[in-house]
Amino acid sequence: MIAERNKKLYSKGQYTWFLIVFIVPTFALFCLLTLYPMVRGVYTSFFDWTGTSSKMTFIGLDNYRKLFDDEIIPRTIQHDYFLVFWKVLLILLFATVFAVALTRLKLRESAFFRAVFFFPNMISVVVIGVLWRFIYNPNLGFLNSFLSLFTEKPVSIAWLGDSDLALAALVPPSVWAGIGFYMVLIMSGIMGISESLYESARIDGAGEWKQFTRLTIPLVWEQIKVSLLSIVMTTLNGSFLIVWLMTEGGPDNSTQVMGSYLYQVGFKQYQMGYATAIGVMILVLSLLTTVLLNRLLRRETHEW
Amino acid sequence: MFKRMLRVSLWVWGLCVLYPLFWTVTTSLKSTGQFNLGHAWDLPRLPLQFVNFSDAWQKAHFGTYFLNSTAVVLSAVVLSLLLSATTAFIMARHPFRGSGLMFGLYISTMMIPTILGLVPLFFFMSSLHLTNSLTGLSLLYTIIQVPFGVFVLVGFFKAMPGELEAAAAIDGCGIFGTFFKIMLPLARSGLVTVAIMNALAYWNEYLFALVLVGSPEKYTVSIGLSFLQGEMQYSVEWGVLFAALIISVVPVFLLYVFFQRQITAGLTAGALKG
Repeated sequence: MIAERNKKLYSKGQYTWFLIVFIVPTFALFCLLTLYPMVRGVYTSFFDWTGTSSKMTFIGLDNYRKLFDDEIIPRTIQHDYFLVFWKVLLILLFATVFAVALTRLKLRESAFFRAVFFFPNMISVVVIGVLWRFIYNPNLGFLNSFLSLFTEKPVSIAWLGDSDLALAALVPPSVWAGIGFYMVLIMSGIMGISESLYESARIDGAGEWKQFTRLTIPLVWEQIKVSLLSIVMTTLNGSFLIVWLMTEGGPDNSTQVMGSYLYQVGFKQYQMGYATAIGVMILVLSLLTTVLLNRLLRRETHEW
Repeated sequence: MFKRMLRVSLWVWGLCVLYPLFWTVTTSLKSTGQFNLGHAWDLPRLPLQFVNFSDAWQKAHFGTYFLNSTAVVLSAVVLSLLLSATTAFIMARHPFRGSGLMFGLYISTMMIPTILGLVPLFFFMSSLHLTNSLTGLSLLYTIIQVPFGVFVLVGFFKAMPGELEAAAAIDGCGIFGTFFKIMLPLARSGLVTVAIMNALAYWNEYLFALVLVGSPEKYTVSIGLSFLQGEMQYSVEWGVLFAALIISVVPVFLLYVFFQRQITAGLTAGALKG
């Protein structure tokens, strides 16, 4: 055993001391600032608490019952999964196509494209929010002025102000900012495929398209699966940031997602107990979704 | 045919990524007067309004925010590296009873939505007088990246040949000397990757800073930017907003230019944890 052998290198008293100094400070801070708030979050969800008073009233499952009575909750869940669906579809589609193009075509400019496509992944959600809010700005933004090139009258659509459009308008920024990373992930898979496989496919008369569907896709299925799960998780756990920055859940809750609603209920309406119950709901839904998808995708791998 | 379509799609998407960025730069050089004409596509008129940048830096206080962010990011990067490297070293080379469980605990919190603990975290920090304080923010940032750091660095320490540690120990380096003088330098490439990934994560962090920091003189760059965006309802200094946006992106851009390889490697390592 490596541990036994390494242990013998040092005197016993020094060794114990060393373990404590190296392990305990990190773990103590981690327990206080990460584990404790999470456990406490579950605990708080059984109380009625405004946050400002020290009085916490135990109310059992009432906060959870409230989840079922609250008309906004089903809408937030629906909005979250709307974003999940479109992000998964569009990001995976673009990321896979670009990954293939940048690896298989052997273009001179592929390093350039790779660097450019990845860059939006680097910038903060705040910057993306500010930038896209302006792109969508009805009078000054360049989306409307672009569309106006094709119409007689100037277009003045309030993309983020229209409750029918606002949620869909949140998809492009998320896709724009998300593609690069998953593209790099899938590229690493493609670069691991041996060139001789492609050669023998060519000899068998498989065209580019057939090589793509029969060879590339099955062999990078693992990367695609990881990407899919990662998009689902990060969307369910983090979509509220872009929502909060671009629409604050409005207009009229038409873009409210679970996380942004939690923030509003907790930090604007001071219903801390109810807010943490929403947090537990997010945890449960994201875990359930991941487990379910893992099952589904595993079955699909066998079919290949 | 297939090839040409792919190639065209690359150029189209390249334009979709680059144009908004180019446009941000041109916009930051426009005057408010030109803005209100509404021709979003126009290039800025001469003279270029570099004054937008000095306004963002001074009048909109981005100088302060920039310093705040820098202080928080640097201190948290150093602390987080120290805390995660020590733990990763033990887990990789000196596992003890329960270290597997502890590792599992660190990793599993990467799967749990941070927002679940947000409310209790706020009140806990507040009871320790660590809200509205850059020290508190830095401490929190240190911890939130520890699981990632431990995860990546355990791999690095595991891959090191055992003889090196033995040789150092026999030479009488002592256990701390062995760690700081021999093991850490050997893990340099892992440390660099983790440091850069953490620096990016901290610089871009929004949620915790929003919840924990209340007074404007303590804003970080991301909070400052979202605050300035909110102000746009009342004032219309778009040029200043976009100058501020560029100021906030410059450090990220520089990191990306110099460390592109480590960044893509670091992100991929983080994603494959699942």
